[in-house]
Amino acid sequence: MESAVIVENLTKNYGDVLALDHISFEVKHGEIFGLLGPNGAGKTTTIKILTGLTKPTSGRAIVAGFDVIKQPNEVKKRIGWIAAEVIVDDDLTAWENLELQAKLEGLNDWKDRASELLKYFGIYEFKDKQVGKFSTGMRKKLEMSMALLHSPEVIFMDEPTIGLDVSTRKALWDIIRQINKDFRVSVLLTTHYMEEADMLCERIAIINKGRIIALGSPAELKEKYGTDVIEIDYEGKTDQKKLEKFGEVIVYNGKIRIKTNNAENIIADVLKQLSDLKIKAVRINKTSLDTVFLTLTGTTLEEGEFDARRFYMTIRRARR
Amino acid sequence: MIDKVIALYEREMKRFFRSRYMWVMILAQPIMWIIFFGSSFSQVPKEFLETFFHTTDYIAFIIPGELSVSMMMVGSFSSMSLIQDKRLGYLRRILITPTRKSAVFYAKVLGGMTRGIIQVPIMILISLLLGVKYNVDWLGLLEWIIGLIFIGIGFSSLYGIITANTSDWQAPGVVSNLLNLPLMFSSTALFPAAFFPSWLKLVSDGNPLTYAAELGRDALLYGDPPNPLYLLYLVAFGIIMLVIGTIVIEKYLTVD
Repeated sequence: MESAVIVENLTKNYGDVLALDHISFEVKHGEIFGLLGPNGAGKTTTIKILTGLTKPTSGRAIVAGFDVIKQPNEVKKRIGWIAAEVIVDDDLTAWENLELQAKLEGLNDWKDRASELLKYFGIYEFKDKQVGKFSTGMRKKLEMSMALLHSPEVIFMDEPTIGLDVSTRKALWDIIRQINKDFRVSVLLTTHYMEEADMLCERIAIINKGRIIALGSPAELKEKYGTDVIEIDYEGKTDQKKLEKFGEVIVYNGKIRIKTNNAENIIADVLKQLSDLKIKAVRINKTSLDTVFLTLTGTTLEEGEFDARRFYMTIRRARR
Repeated sequence: MIDKVIALYEREMKRFFRSRYMWVMILAQPIMWIIFFGSSFSQVPKEFLETFFHTTDYIAFIIPGELSVSMMMVGSFSSMSLIQDKRLGYLRRILITPTRKSAVFYAKVLGGMTRGIIQVPIMILISLLLGVKYNVDWLGLLEWIIGLIFIGIGFSSLYGIITANTSDWQAPGVVSNLLNLPLMFSSTALFPAAFFPSWLKLVSDGNPLTYAAELGRDALLYGDPPNPLYLLYLVAFGIIMLVIGTIVIEKYLTVD
């Protein structure tokens, strides 16, 4: 059976800024697949192309068996979308939101399914209340109901838990896992939270500056690229050469990072070498997707964000 | 397509009728016009009014004109509503479903037009309460209402066209200032063309507001038989703008 999403050499330019650079990946049926990367890496652009909102500069994308460039309407009938900021109409009731969604999807028999979905998410009793009075969690559940109303094959979730507090985020992960199983819908989500990708996704593509730099299950990625990292915040000058016997050394922005396989065992020796420095803090980061990202890009995800902001501003300027 | 336009139009109307401010505006605006603007000629001798306006009641004279101007002004609601949907991401939600951009556009245009048309009965009712006397030609009245619907469609489309590819809140305000005042003053909505300089008369003769105002006066005041050419002009204006709008929106409407 063909995959739920097939992306081949997808490229997108905004003016002379390259937002996506020949990316390729596949989302298997029934899978939760994550696009992980800093803001501005190209995640939102990818989703925009796959949902038929923007045309790629070159490359091919098949969603739910149809080409997004040649048959965008066939694709749109088979996909759902969850926005980063919850997008529902606050002036309408929950039921009216669903009704509008149903009509835009061209559904005839939608009422039973709508009731079922509202019951499934536990918000049926509020169906005739104006959505503006809902909590964020309830609005998110309504948005999920709207996305599932037409039984889509693939749901796109753009940063689904951004800005939510920790407990709401974890509750939402459970819901995403549950709908993936209960409705047999494939999920393509984007995130810049390492933990989210790790906990939720069966497979991950790590995307940075418009390129996919690694692809695999979280376990595979950690196995292949993961290391422990000793991170030292310091003041003063040091010769990084003398640290190289411990592993690869990256000095960036007042931080020394040493990649190693046995951080606990060598840390005492490392610090001895640095007796001439004023050391402000020492951290050991065990293998995680964070250290995978560091290995692949030389910066952490948060530092990548900083570059991304500048990148984004260039794109915005290019668009106008 | 038509189902989707109706569904989106219903959304516009629900949002519109649920807003308290909308009711204030709808009721306050005609009262302001009638009481403040309409009273400005109340001390003028009757003979002067009769020669100048062909009626002794200036309030009765400006009501058809004001309602025509209203149909133009509410046009800016279509572009405000569109920009709001872009800003809140709702347009994206719509366009991720198999819905054409022009369906969204038609719903906004109809929404803008409806806001204007609702003022017609309210304004006439309030003026009747204030003692304005009409001399109604019923066929003319029907013709005038149809004309107002099309002029509303025309201006709502025009606004939608101008702001198709922006998401700037300021845009509708700027556009309405640039359009509304010159169009209002270069029409016969407020004053008859008889004393216009020739260049203004020329502009006024091309201005759809003039034809909407004149149709209204024939129907409500003079009791004259309707002039089908005036109606034709308004229908043509509405349809041409709608067609241009469809093309522009399909090509240039952006989601953010």
